[in-house]
Amino acid sequence: AGLHRVFDLFTSTAAEPWPESATLYQPLKEDQILLSDCASSLAVQAYLRMCGLPVQVVCKANAEYMSPSGKIPFIHVGNQVVSELGPIVQFTKAKGNSLSDSLEDVQRAEMKAYMELVNNMLLTAELYIQWCDDATAAEISRPRYSSPYSWPLSKILAYQKQWEVRRKMNAVGWGGKTLEQVYEDVSQCCQALSQRLGTQPYFFNKQPTELDALVFGHLFTILTTRLTSTELAERIKSYSNLLSFCRRIEQTYFEDKSS
Amino acid sequence: MDQNMAAAMELRCWGGDWGLPSVHTESLIVQAYAKFSGAKVTVSPVDWTWKTLTATVPELLCGDSAVQEPINILNFLRKQRFNADYELTARQGADTMAYIALLEEKLRPALLHTFWVDAENYANLTRPWFASRSPFPLNFLVPSHRANAALSRILLMKGEAPLHRITEVEGKIYSDAKECLNLLSFRLGMENYFFGSLPTSLDAFVFGYLAPIYKASLPSSPLQSHLRQLGNLTSFCDNILAVYFSSDRPCPPPPVQETMDANLQKLTQLVNKESNLIEKMDDNLRSSPQHKPHRPDPKPSLASEQNSTPA
Repeated sequence: AGLHRVFDLFTSTAAEPWPESATLYQPLKEDQILLSDCASSLAVQAYLRMCGLPVQVVCKANAEYMSPSGKIPFIHVGNQVVSELGPIVQFTKAKGNSLSDSLEDVQRAEMKAYMELVNNMLLTAELYIQWCDDATAAEISRPRYSSPYSWPLSKILAYQKQWEVRRKMNAVGWGGKTLEQVYEDVSQCCQALSQRLGTQPYFFNKQPTELDALVFGHLFTILTTRLTSTELAERIKSYSNLLSFCRRIEQTYFEDKSS
Repeated sequence: MDQNMAAAMELRCWGGDWGLPSVHTESLIVQAYAKFSGAKVTVSPVDWTWKTLTATVPELLCGDSAVQEPINILNFLRKQRFNADYELTARQGADTMAYIALLEEKLRPALLHTFWVDAENYANLTRPWFASRSPFPLNFLVPSHRANAALSRILLMKGEAPLHRITEVEGKIYSDAKECLNLLSFRLGMENYFFGSLPTSLDAFVFGYLAPIYKASLPSSPLQSHLRQLGNLTSFCDNILAVYFSSDRPCPPPPVQETMDANLQKLTQLVNKESNLIEKMDDNLRSSPQHKPHRPDPKPSLASEQNSTPA
């Protein structure tokens, strides 16, 4: 159903300009949202700011159920609803806003490959830590996820979500990993990103692309979210160019509260 | 240079067909890497044994240790000094990780769907093949077991909660896969391998994913037609098959690590000594009174020496 809506918007709304009333929906920031969703939402917000497209962030407890694909975040633009960074990038491209148009084919291939690396390793690691690590699941994830609901719905929804995520982890081969192995995978991923970034300001030198937005969303969220242990943040902190990368994007795109 | 592995290495794989050493992507990846890195492994197919159901394939057995999953097997071989990635820079190593993630996320779902979920392909090709290579009564169990695993994997990775239906995601996974093939084609360009003139682990992974799609006699596959249009990717597969898997040609030697190190060291030392001598001679000439310098600015020196000011 969500896919049909994305196809519809390509054919009908390419010409309409970006409205002032565009909104981005995510779960409640203080009590409910979890690490992985926060990272995904921040990536989309960073991307839209990099494009210069204003969007208002609205927090709703049932954002996950409002989303056409069940994934956070989603944006409501005009009469279209689009969720997840990939489709949102395509949507803005149809409206004439793109950060990666000037890239050559080989560079675009590289950009997409590195975005999949972030999804494959960082996002999966976040999901693992949230739902497969018993300590984190019990202390943080289940309470937060179920906070808007009263008992017994809260218990049911939390355990259902946990079961779903654990099934997915098993399917992609992460079910048998230990927490230490997951941290090691995150380190390797960060090392690859650090290598690729080098001393440049952004991954494709002077101009940010959707890859920069995605990396920023995940790294910044991990660095600023309190978990049961600081191990994950420490692993990222050992790569100084990634830290300055996050700081640079935060200062350039998030410091002024004008939007 | 010593042969450091005293224990023999045995690799359990699915057998071959359609001109390929194995029909199974993960088995192909490991076999290709073994050839690229010069590792001597004995390949023992699990066909017609009970291991078709019980074993995790591919599996590398070496002495007491059993390693599963292509990534782990490649790491194990690397630790045994069978390293096809020796010459890669750190940046190229990072690119390798990224492209493998691309294959995993964008190509694997369509690969699984083509062979195990598409009704026509499954009924006419995949199920008969796997059933014919499993002993009775496993021939009834093995194909459907693998098909169920493939379907649930696709749905869990790509499906939209809460109703997981395969028809909703089919369009997306095939368009993602076609885009992935295009990206690989752009990246490979006109080269033989992804990083220069020798194949590396990335080449092994790409070969493992592409070769079955390319070579299998699939009754219906838009993915196969798309791949066959990308000439550089099909030549890539054919080239690897001809160079590393043909029975009449011996394999090219892998990059030799130790002697290259020693030679490179010696060469660097010689070059440094020579340049030191030249610098000293040059300085002597400059400081001697009857010679005027040809250039006012001192030559940049390789060794750290103080620059003499022109007389």
